[in-house]
Amino acid sequence: MVASTPTVAGTEGRLASAIAIPDTSRGHRQKRRINWGTVGRHAVLMFFSLSVLLPLAWVIIRSIISLPDGTHNPIWPQNWADPWYQHYEWILKRRPEIRTNFRNSVYVSLLTVVTTTITSVLAGYALVHLRTPFKRVLTAVLVASLFFPTRVTAITGIFEVQRQLGFINKTWTLVFPYTALNVAICIFIMRGVFETVSKEILDAARVDGAGSLRLLLGILLPIIKNGIVVVIIVSFVAAWGEFLLALTLMNDGSKRTLPVFIATASGGVGGLLWPRIAAVYIMAILPGLFVFAFAQRWYTKGLQEGALKA
Amino acid sequence: MAQATYSIDAVPTTETRSNTYRSVINFLKTYPYVLPAIIFFVGWQILPIYHALRLSFTDDRFLDQVPAHWIGLDNYREVIRDRVFWNGVGRAFIFTCIFVPGMIMIPLVIAVMLDRVQSRRMATFYRIVLLIPSMIPAPLIFVLWGWLYNNYIGPINYVLVDVLHLYDVRTQPQWLNDPHLVFISIAIMEWWWGLGYHTMFFLAGLASIPKDIFDAARVDGASEWRMFWGITIFRLLPVILVLMVIRFGTAMAVVDEYIIVGSFDKSRPTYTWTVYMYDTAFGGGSQFRGYAAAIGWMGALLMLVVVAGMFWLFRSRD
Repeated sequence: MVASTPTVAGTEGRLASAIAIPDTSRGHRQKRRINWGTVGRHAVLMFFSLSVLLPLAWVIIRSIISLPDGTHNPIWPQNWADPWYQHYEWILKRRPEIRTNFRNSVYVSLLTVVTTTITSVLAGYALVHLRTPFKRVLTAVLVASLFFPTRVTAITGIFEVQRQLGFINKTWTLVFPYTALNVAICIFIMRGVFETVSKEILDAARVDGAGSLRLLLGILLPIIKNGIVVVIIVSFVAAWGEFLLALTLMNDGSKRTLPVFIATASGGVGGLLWPRIAAVYIMAILPGLFVFAFAQRWYTKGLQEGALKA
Repeated sequence: MAQATYSIDAVPTTETRSNTYRSVINFLKTYPYVLPAIIFFVGWQILPIYHALRLSFTDDRFLDQVPAHWIGLDNYREVIRDRVFWNGVGRAFIFTCIFVPGMIMIPLVIAVMLDRVQSRRMATFYRIVLLIPSMIPAPLIFVLWGWLYNNYIGPINYVLVDVLHLYDVRTQPQWLNDPHLVFISIAIMEWWWGLGYHTMFFLAGLASIPKDIFDAARVDGASEWRMFWGITIFRLLPVILVLMVIRFGTAMAVVDEYIIVGSFDKSRPTYTWTVYMYDTAFGGGSQFRGYAAAIGWMGALLMLVVVAGMFWLFRSRD
């Protein structure tokens, strides 16, 4: 059965169907068809993988070439930076405000991850496994919010809420709008994950007299851990990279987050020559990639376990 | 979309106490779990949305010291006559029409191929690599692609001009400055960003198709191509429709990309209704937030009408 795996879409699909229909003579024909399918498939997948990797490799190269090379466009430079981490060192030593922005980003993102995760796990639990009144209404409001362009339409309102609370230019307060904008999608992810848990397990524990909080912490938590990883990653990436609100609510440069700095810094001007801004860029994307490298196993599992079945 | 949630409420209970008492107890027992969500949701979603709605009926100018007056529907009448707004909606719609089909088709093809990869190691490799862009925050994606498209340092035009000699310095494509190219350029970077993430949706969908359907079809002599259209696409239809509706919503409301790529330049195609709204509220002048809120609400209403239409069109008919 393994040997006769069918091929489907794209060019090799057509190739396969051209050769394959009368399936009387296995052996030679069979072998040829599989080879072509596999080659075509890997070629397409490789093409997309390279399209992901090459731009990133290009930025890495940019961040370790000499300053004069940074103004030209050849991909391979004439001179490398010496030492190779020269531009990274320069950024860390000479531009303390970038360090401040970096710290702001870390701070806000971690806070948002914590609040979003706790909020969505609790709410997802209540929406699936508890006798919560108005379940339907709550769910409907959350669904509706997914289709409302809140970030655009309500940004004047978000500004007003933050201003009245005295939150303008206080970096940590970004956690409130960030959590609010993430919470609907994260509750759906958790709801999908909770729905995969069989009811019998919970009923058995209930008979033993476990309260609803005990149930969640003692029994459900280990089962839903992959889903939690998905929520952590989704909310981390969203908070780490949020641009519009951070730009609008913080007008003091030292209170801003790293993405705002990078997006508003015009590269190639002043001290921020191209290789140096590329170095800032690499520093900005590394935390996300670290989190991913560390958690990808649970992340991909969690995505397939039901996080995507909303 | 409409996944059945099983509810425990259906369990018959003997009524020993009054219903009100019971539901009050239930409320007190369960709402602590929902409370944090409600606080964030009401405080930073519902209230701001309501605030923007109220603002849209006033002549509030943020930088004027004059208190705002209630002017009823005047702002909305103005928006309906506003050329800039309608052009902006049109531009956002053009972008959406370019973006959404690719965002569905490319990950669908990748998922179908990835699903058939036999070597487990290669499958994991592809999966991880394709998911990398989704780990990079959105504005940083735009910055990266801004560099890739750049005339002076960008590798794309370097390859086109200096390596392949397809263009010279004067005729090279102005990816982000040419009004005909800019939406395609932005769509490419958005596809790049969503490559792995959307593939995961389709993989989850593919995993739920029972394999014996294919076996049965093969016994009947169906070709692979026919099975793809007849079974795979048909079975993935719910996923495709949900993604279409969701991505329609995000694509129509794109704003960060346009600001980063085109700033607040009115002559550029990236000056869509969202940028117009932001520019009116937070840009130069007196920051006419009343009018900006009306722009935001008009845009949102138009979008909701289309989304509702799509839901009606895609409603399950069985």
